[in-house]
Amino acid sequence: MYAVAEIDAEICGATKCRLCTQFCPEGNTILYDETRGTAYVAVDRCKGCEICVGICDDLAKHHAIKMVPIDQVKEGFEISKVGFKRSLVESE
Amino acid sequence: MSLKTIQAATGFKDYLPKEYQDLIDDGPFLQKRKVSELGSFKEALEEHPMCSGCAMTLFIRLCYVGFPSLEHTVLVGTAGCGRLAISQGAVPFVYGNYGDTNAVATGLKRGLEIRFKDQPKDVVVMAGDGGLADIGFHAVMHSWFRKEKFTTVMLDNEVYGNTGGQDSGMTQKGMVMKMAPTGKKFEKMDMLGLAKTAGVAYTARIAPTNPTRVANTIRKAVLIAREVGPTFIQAYTSCNIEYAIPTPKVMDDARAVEKDRYSFEEYFSDEAKAYWDESEKERKRLRKAKK
Ligand SMILES: Cc1ncc(C[n+]2csc(CCOP(=O)(O)OP(=O)(O)O)c2C)c(N)n1
Ligand code: SF4
Ligand code: SF4
Ligand code: SF4
Repeated sequence: MYAVAEIDAEICGATKCRLCTQFCPEGNTILYDETRGTAYVAVDRCKGCEICVGICDDLAKHHAIKMVPIDQVKEGFEISKVGFKRSLVESE
Repeated sequence: MSLKTIQAATGFKDYLPKEYQDLIDDGPFLQKRKVSELGSFKEALEEHPMCSGCAMTLFIRLCYVGFPSLEHTVLVGTAGCGRLAISQGAVPFVYGNYGDTNAVATGLKRGLEIRFKDQPKDVVVMAGDGGLADIGFHAVMHSWFRKEKFTTVMLDNEVYGNTGGQDSGMTQKGMVMKMAPTGKKFEKMDMLGLAKTAGVAYTARIAPTNPTRVANTIRKAVLIAREVGPTFIQAYTSCNIEYAIPTPKVMDDARAVEKDRYSFEEYFSDEAKAYWDESEKERKRLRKAKK
């Protein structure tokens, strides 16, 4: 079993941070929802490196990212299924 | 090549892959994107098979944001890890034979200059330390001696990562690798010094610790190559596999190595400096005029 990054929208949404989006090695894997004001993860793209966890904990000091086993991710966003979205709110 | 080339012909858009439609609707082509906007637009770099947590991957990702005009850029690479990602970007990519990247880039740049007289085309070589400092060394040096107007970016992971851990000329002395069991015998090559000696217009040494700085440095190198002469970026892009760096520690390693021996350092020739100062002034003037 491998783990992917999960971002707590409540903690992240209270900041205007956008730091992990710049440090994830993978393109379009941590996305940023302008409407909800939070970063979120495309779970099908995340390679589980945990770099974003270090960035959020140590650099941003917001502790909003946790690694979650892939089979325990609830309603994970999959970019390969729906494509790029500026906001998940619009698409609902 | 123009912006039009990424647009779909009338009636065809719906039949294109989603990834491509996203590039048309929310991509980086129609407006210049900043590093701080990452996550809010569809990136030119698509999914690829490079290892989890690879710093080289991060560096390449940031380069795509830095290229001053993506739609007029051609990348040249070769065997090695980086091409696994570079070949999955929405920018034309030429796969040179291992060793001949800078010869291929020379022909390409000269040809594009003849074919597109009024539209500058940027050629950028991106390859590993093995590809550029060892097997491609003569082609790199001669492209510099000839003052060919393109950028060379060395993805310096200080090892042959793609083939399982041979030492390269850029590996540090004494380093024990899987296929250098008694330790590397010679000093790390001074490619930045060689670049200066060969008359390169701009060089930079950089580690991917500051994303905006990576993008700005790439942009600067490409613009100076367009107007003045050859430019060279040597980027520390650790291989977490061959150097056994746990992926959550990759950025700690980058910061430590940067502090120890890979600090950000730029060099400009006199001509490059004059050009860059002038163009910065011009950009400031335009920004003011806009306001
Ligand atoms: C002429 C030639 N010799 C050898 C190879 C095998 N080969 C493929 S990748 C590679 C090593 C790449 O090392 P480097 O350029 O440092 O890039 P990295 O994989 O470390 O990013 C080698 C030797 C080849 N493809 N062509
Ligand atoms: S680093 Fe943390 S707080 Fe900042 S955008 Fe990412 S998840 Fe949100
Ligand atoms: S774990 Fe790695 S790949 Fe996944 S979102 Fe975080 S930085 Fe990106
Ligand atoms: S082998 Fe090393 S350099 Fe190559 S993709 Fe993996 S971590 Fe990166």
